[in-house]
Amino acid sequence: MAYHSGYGAHGSKHRARAAPDPPPLFEDTSGGYSSQPGGYPAPGADVAFSVNHLLGDPMANVAMAYGSSIASHGKDMVHKELHRFVSVNKLKYFFAVDSAYVAKKLGLLVFPYTHQNWEVQYSRDVPLPPRQDLNAPDLYIPTMAFITYVLLAGMALGIQKRFSPEVLGLCASTALVWVVMEVLALLLGLYLATVRSDLSTFHLLAYSGYKYVGMILSVLTGLLFGSDGYYVALAWTSSALMYFIVRSLRTAALGPDSVGGPVPRQRLQLYLTLGAAAFQPLIIYWLTFHLVR
Amino acid sequence: LGIHFDHIWQKTLTVLNPMKPADGSIMNETDLTGPILFCVALGATLLLAGKVQFGYVYGLSAIGCLVIHALLNLMSSSGVSYGCVASVLGYCLLPMVILSGCAMFFSLQGTFGIVSSLVIIGWCSLSASKIFISALDMEGQQLLVAYPCALLYGLFALLTIF
Repeated sequence: MAYHSGYGAHGSKHRARAAPDPPPLFEDTSGGYSSQPGGYPAPGADVAFSVNHLLGDPMANVAMAYGSSIASHGKDMVHKELHRFVSVNKLKYFFAVDSAYVAKKLGLLVFPYTHQNWEVQYSRDVPLPPRQDLNAPDLYIPTMAFITYVLLAGMALGIQKRFSPEVLGLCASTALVWVVMEVLALLLGLYLATVRSDLSTFHLLAYSGYKYVGMILSVLTGLLFGSDGYYVALAWTSSALMYFIVRSLRTAALGPDSVGGPVPRQRLQLYLTLGAAAFQPLIIYWLTFHLVR
Repeated sequence: LGIHFDHIWQKTLTVLNPMKPADGSIMNETDLTGPILFCVALGATLLLAGKVQFGYVYGLSAIGCLVIHALLNLMSSSGVSYGCVASVLGYCLLPMVILSGCAMFFSLQGTFGIVSSLVIIGWCSLSASKIFISALDMEGQQLLVAYPCALLYGLFALLTIF
C-alpha cells in the first residue's frame, strides 16, 4: 500500500512543497521587475531587448536569455524531484479543510469523551475529505501546531532570558526528529504486524502531529499559571490525546478483514495502538518540561 | 518602466481598509515594487529605531513567503505563483511599517505596545487573508489562511519590539 512508497515523504514535510506549475492565472505585467515564473526564453529575451538600450551590450541579452532558461530548467528539475517523493494530490486531500472543521477538531482533541461515531466515512471507496468528515485526519492542524510550538518555545525561552536563535533551531530540529522517529516506529510496527490498512505515511504523520496541540496548551497554561498549571494541563491533554488516538486508530488500523482475523494478530494490533498512545505523554513531557520551570 | 503608480496606490488602499471586501482581480498583476518599497521602509524605520536588522527582515520574509506559498498551493483548488504570494504579503506589511515607525518615538515594551502590536498583527493578517481568499476563491478558509499570516507578522512584530 502507500506506506512503502512513502518512506521518503516525511523527510520533505517541512521543506517547500510546490504544486505543479499551474497555467499562468496571474499575468505578469510588471515589465522587468519580477522574473516570470516558469517562463520560456522568449519573454526573457523581450525583457533583454528592452534593457539592451540601457546596457548597449549585445552579450547582456544573450546572457539574460540563457540565465532565465537555466532558472526555468532548474525549477522544472526541482518539481520533478519533488514529485518523485511526494504525491501532491494525496497531500492536497489532507489540506482540504475549512474553519468549521478545524474548530471542531480542536475541540475534539481537547475533549474527545463525548464523541460517538469515530468511523471515517467513505463515498464509493474514496475517503471523504476533512471538510465533510470530522473523523478524517488532516495535516493543517499538525503543521500549524508544530510551527506554533516552535515559536512558543522561542517565546518561553525569551521570557526566561534564555533565548538565542540557535536554541530555537535546536528546539525545532529536536521536535522534528521525534516526529520522524515516531512515524518510522509506527510504520515498522504496522509492517511487522502485517496489517493491510488504509493508513498511509501521511495519516501517521497527521496522528502523531496532533500531540503538538496538547503541547501548546500545556506550555501556555504553564506560562500563565506556573508549574502546577503545567502539570494539570499535561495530565488532561495527555489523557484526552490517548483516548482520541486509541478510538481513531482502532477502526483505521484494523483493516478491512479484521472482524474474522486470527486472534494473535488482533491482539498485536491492539498492543500497537495502545503502545503508540502510551508513548505520546512521554514525548509531550520530554519536549516541554524544559520550557516551564 | 512598468510601474503603475495608481495600481500600487489602489492595492495600498485595499490593505489599509481591512473591513471592505476586496475584489479578486486586483491581484492579476504580480508586481513586487510596492512590497520591496515596504520592506525597505521597514528596514529603514527599524534602523532609525536603533536596530540594524536588515538581514533578519529579508531572511524572514523569504522563508515566510515560501511556507505560505506551499500552504496556499495545497489548500486552494487553483495554484498560486510565488510572485503573487510575495506581492500580497509585501503589501500587507504596510501596517507593520507604521508600527515600527511608532517604535521610533516611544518604546513598545509596555502594555500599550503589546496591545497595539497585537492589533496591527491582526490587521495585517486579516487584509492578507482577505486578498488571498478573494483572489484564489477559497470559501470558509479565511481564518485558516489568516493564522499562518498572523504567525509570520508576529515574527516581524517581535523583531520590531525586541
